[in-house]
Amino acid sequence: MRFAYYPGCSARSTCAELNDATHLVASRLGLDLVQLESASCTGARELRAIDPAGFYALNVRILALAESHGLPLMTICNTCTLNVLDAHAAFVSDPELAASVNARLAEENLHYSGRTRISHFLWVLHEDIGEQRLRQQVVNPLAGLTVAAFYGCHITRPPGRYGFVDSRNNRALERLAEILGCLPIEYSGRTECCGFHTAAHDERVAIKLTGQHVLAAKAGGATAMVTPCPLCHTVLDSFQPEMEKDIDQKLDMPVLHLPQLVGLALGLSPEQLKIDRHMVPADVLDSYAATASPGLK
Amino acid sequence: MTSISPADPSVPVLSPVDGRWSGQAEHDSLAARNCRLTPGEWLTVKVRRSEVPAGGDVYQAFQVPYQKWMRVLDALNWIAENAAADLAFRWFCGSKMCGTCAVRMNGREVLACWEAVEPNMVIEPLRNLPVIRDLVVDRSRYEDKVASLEPWIERREPYGEFPEPLTHKQMKDASKALDCISCMCCYSACPVIGLGNLTDFAGPAPLVQLGQTALDPRNDPEKVRRSLALTGIFDCVSCYKCEEVCPAHIPIVSRVIEPLKAKAAQLVPEMARHSFALRGIVARRGRVDPGELILRVQGLRALGNLRRILRLFARGKINPIKTILGIKTGAAEAAMRLLGNRAGRP
Repeated sequence: MRFAYYPGCSARSTCAELNDATHLVASRLGLDLVQLESASCTGARELRAIDPAGFYALNVRILALAESHGLPLMTICNTCTLNVLDAHAAFVSDPELAASVNARLAEENLHYSGRTRISHFLWVLHEDIGEQRLRQQVVNPLAGLTVAAFYGCHITRPPGRYGFVDSRNNRALERLAEILGCLPIEYSGRTECCGFHTAAHDERVAIKLTGQHVLAAKAGGATAMVTPCPLCHTVLDSFQPEMEKDIDQKLDMPVLHLPQLVGLALGLSPEQLKIDRHMVPADVLDSYAATASPGLK
Repeated sequence: MTSISPADPSVPVLSPVDGRWSGQAEHDSLAARNCRLTPGEWLTVKVRRSEVPAGGDVYQAFQVPYQKWMRVLDALNWIAENAAADLAFRWFCGSKMCGTCAVRMNGREVLACWEAVEPNMVIEPLRNLPVIRDLVVDRSRYEDKVASLEPWIERREPYGEFPEPLTHKQMKDASKALDCISCMCCYSACPVIGLGNLTDFAGPAPLVQLGQTALDPRNDPEKVRRSLALTGIFDCVSCYKCEEVCPAHIPIVSRVIEPLKAKAAQLVPEMARHSFALRGIVARRGRVDPGELILRVQGLRALGNLRRILRLFARGKINPIKTILGIKTGAAEAAMRLLGNRAGRP
């Protein structure tokens, strides 16, 4: 199974551990990833608002790069996923836009035909690997590990893209956690917003919003949180000391990238998965790692 | 450990599960909800009340007999007629037009007149607006904000000709905003509005009202500039909660807030500092350098977060050398060509 792989900016900088973990886990799962080295940023939320033409050009170029390899595209960031999905939808519904973007891509001999399949790593696990294959690969079931799934926004909303009448009904992460042996918990923050997209100019929103989500996860009995989005991870993990100060309460909530949780169940060690690169120590997970003595589990 | 190849015949391949819609099939459609009930069945409806008797619960429970095609509004009317004549709730048209009957049902904003009942319902007033009584909220905060945004068209020049030439393309976003019925569902669902006065974000509903005229090409740019400066529009977190609950199915983020942001970037560029900074970095370097983005957006204010900066540096999450040297990525050439070598300004 081969995918053109688009890591995005975050997994190449603040969340480099996500990129490393994705490559390791993919290789265990038999996924062959062709990393798109020359792919640019998808423009986050900023470019699509102030420069739609630039937004379409950069995103369609990523789709065209995947097409040039003849491969479907795999992403690991919610916002990047929605950006390429939105650009693809605009491209296939507006021939004028499609022609103008392709004219600009022709300068580097790229062309998009509108046929690249776009899939986030979470969906690849469900759709391409499949439950049965995944269960067979779980050599270290994370028995009893209570995890709070944090979806973030752009993998489950807008409704016009994903079709959920109520995004709270999304169960993709919980189902996956169960396959890995975990006990997913219920809490109010599952499909709420982390506030990342305004954090560069006013981080108070992110701290206030996400503090409540982490608190709810803790109250719900979570040992760790898991998210499919590095932007959510940055807020959940890096801003936790500020959240603790804001609510005057310790949180100490380790936050895992999705491939890290999968990797632990596949028998990879926390060191291999670079879980020690997070701001909130995740020592509590050591007892669930494959190298731990069975008595500790 | 060996990797399993997809072609490995020893592994039976199950029909694939569609990961992106997981959870949706069982209970995520109005039809599915309605099908779970049969006429005569009892619904448990807990309504949040304002006047709580001593020792009573803020949620008063009622048993309501289900009738075919029953809506939340029908259940509320049954309660008012048979169990609690003093229950306060608003409605007028009963047909998804007047926008007065919005409530929260099981934690989600709905129009009472258009939402199928569920076997167990908790009905609450909308959030982010003061409650007058029971399910009735005071809309004046929203109405005052809308009035302050001057949501009308002003003309400096006389009409060029009549009928005035106006294309579908020019009006495509404003026409979406014109579908708004002012029900306040989005205002209740917005997490930034939920933080009170932390920011000066106007909120989705006032922005949709503004979009009806500010996105109209006939409007005077100076007037639109004046209005946009009062919106705090760049504090929208792009969570799409507003779109999720909009009973008029307005793509609020992509067809109203983002086009308004584009207008703000042209007319009030100082509001869009974050957007211009990101664009400039991507155009020069191909990908976002988080250190440079924070420095460009916050300037010296960034030093107030010295502790976090040091924490991030210690974990290798930021690289000041790359930031200072402005090291380009493998995507820089293409990004520069597609976005142009401009200081971020479109």
